[in-house]
Amino acid sequence: MDMQNRPHKGVYLQQFKEPALSREIRTFLNASASETLIEHPATKELDDLTAWEIVDIARQAGIVDERDGRPLYQKLQRARDKEIRAVVIDAMDDEPFVSSQLGVLLHMRDSVSFGLKAVRKAVEAESSVIAVYKNLTDAETRIPGSIDGVRVARIGGKYPAELHLSRELGLRKAYITVGVCALVFLARAIISGQMQKSCFITVAGNCIANPTNLEVSLGMNLSMVLERCGLADNPTRVVIGGSMTGISIMDTDKTLISPTTRAVLAFREDEKERNYTCIGCGRCTAVCPQDLDPMFIYRAVKNRRLSMLGFLKAEKCVGCGTCSYVCPSKLPLSTVISKYSKPDGEEDEACN
Amino acid sequence: MQLIQRNAPHIRHSDNPKTLQGDMILALLPLYVLGVCFYGFRVLVTMLVSVFSCWLCDMLCSLLRRRFFNFRDLSSLVTGLIIPLMMPASVPYYVVAFSGAFAIAVIKHPFGGTGENLFNPAAGGIAFAVACWPAQVFSYPVTFTTIPLWNVDSVITVPSTAHTLKMGGLPSADLGDMLLGLVAGPVGTVSILVLLACLIYLSVRRTIPLLQPLCFLIAVALMAYAFPRADISRTYSVLYEMMSGSLVFGAVFMLNDPVTSPKRPASRAMYGFAVGVVTMLFRYFGAFDHGFAFALLLMNALSEEFDYVIVRMASGRKGGAA
Repeated sequence: MDMQNRPHKGVYLQQFKEPALSREIRTFLNASASETLIEHPATKELDDLTAWEIVDIARQAGIVDERDGRPLYQKLQRARDKEIRAVVIDAMDDEPFVSSQLGVLLHMRDSVSFGLKAVRKAVEAESSVIAVYKNLTDAETRIPGSIDGVRVARIGGKYPAELHLSRELGLRKAYITVGVCALVFLARAIISGQMQKSCFITVAGNCIANPTNLEVSLGMNLSMVLERCGLADNPTRVVIGGSMTGISIMDTDKTLISPTTRAVLAFREDEKERNYTCIGCGRCTAVCPQDLDPMFIYRAVKNRRLSMLGFLKAEKCVGCGTCSYVCPSKLPLSTVISKYSKPDGEEDEACN
Repeated sequence: MQLIQRNAPHIRHSDNPKTLQGDMILALLPLYVLGVCFYGFRVLVTMLVSVFSCWLCDMLCSLLRRRFFNFRDLSSLVTGLIIPLMMPASVPYYVVAFSGAFAIAVIKHPFGGTGENLFNPAAGGIAFAVACWPAQVFSYPVTFTTIPLWNVDSVITVPSTAHTLKMGGLPSADLGDMLLGLVAGPVGTVSILVLLACLIYLSVRRTIPLLQPLCFLIAVALMAYAFPRADISRTYSVLYEMMSGSLVFGAVFMLNDPVTSPKRPASRAMYGFAVGVVTMLFRYFGAFDHGFAFALLLMNALSEEFDYVIVRMASGRKGGAA
């Protein structure tokens, strides 16, 4: 029990969410996309729909949860099957530079609350809460206390905050987590019968002239997205996903926007990579949210002593990248460790 | 657009090894200023000899091992700065030079160089000097005598408080003088107040974990309280034991060497405590009054075990609960 109440380990990261977060969400859609509608009469009244109809609309509209890339209808169906009655709306965005969920929550409040009502009805929810990450460094961001009567829980503390969501919210029962962007698409599907043809992304980084949250068509390539927001400088690194866990890509023309793309970041760093070795400072151990010893695991891998990995609990690694972030020698700790820890496909079951 | 494939995370903390080692060097420099005030410019020459010896050995060993020599790696400079501070101001240059060379070429590089060394190089260098030249290392000039640059034979030397305690004698030094460093002893280790300021600076900068030296000092205090060596009251025994010898200096600059200390808070506390107990055992039963360096070397060999014990305990607790 004392493990539960202890403040969790991690790092405070400067958020760099502004100015993208304050700006209105802009749209950047393919003009050629023909409007295909789902086979369901559009309605503004949720009372007209049954729970199963809402699930069916989510299926027909092809809505994908931006958090885990799963079809929304599967998540809803599963919640119904298992009689999960609690819904957590995820607008965490705990990685720096990324604000595509938070931005949607703040700027598209009507759609979000309509979508939330639909999800609540679909799973016959008894409780629901919207989770937002807010740490000390983004004081200028104003977050409402509640949206349409649903509490907005501000999760404070260190990155990675998503890992401790259930504990911070004090949830004892099973719950499902739905991304806030999926709510917007669900609302659109119900109100006007639209399929999900786009997604919300943050375009930011020190090379972007106008950092902003964008709604872009799925399948658009990154070059077009970067061009839309303007490159102030020639980037050396383009990342899809968050600044802590995203993937660095080589070819912006051949990389396309997918429903789970939450951010496109372009950085330029002039600093060269230095060949430092581990000096054993122990900072990685001090910050690891899973209470591992990243430097021991790293060394075990480097020295090919893989039998040590079990003892060091390497499989508990969640790949948050915190150890690599703090490492003064800039060692690729989390990259090496997550390669040897099990890829966990069920981390998002969100049942505890 | 020339893109480079990089590993996540794509943002990094700005600290690098140079920051940590630079902090160490910054904290060591006031001790040299103090040394120059007490003993004149010979202290600076000793420092240069030691630092040059360490740095040169580091470079030669890197060449010998066919490794890339990183000019940004300041760890050999830290070693070079620590060694003369543990010795008297009148120490011959060759002692310092050989100690530095031993520290790098025997203690550090054979185990794999920076970050891989099992033992603290500075402690190894000092242990080497103590074993080879005890006469030169254990005679200290009194403060405010300017030591000539070359001919040091004529310098009048006295034993330190640590030596008096070792011999079972009654220490006569004034406690206020010991706080300020106005007693005979190794150059950098006498001024307790300055050392405590260094400790505060380094722990505020998070270069060293405060827990570890604190546990070390607590262990020493407990041992001194329980088993006073001289015929003095227990309180005085604690004060004299803590302020004599290289104890506080070692607690600040050598005990917290990141490479050779454990990584977890609980294991650091245990390690600090264990080094404290062993240091006192060396003082009681050892042959030399530099007990700390030997105790540190002994515990260095076990430091990783302290972490493993904690890992094992954590997994045992979880297993029991499930």
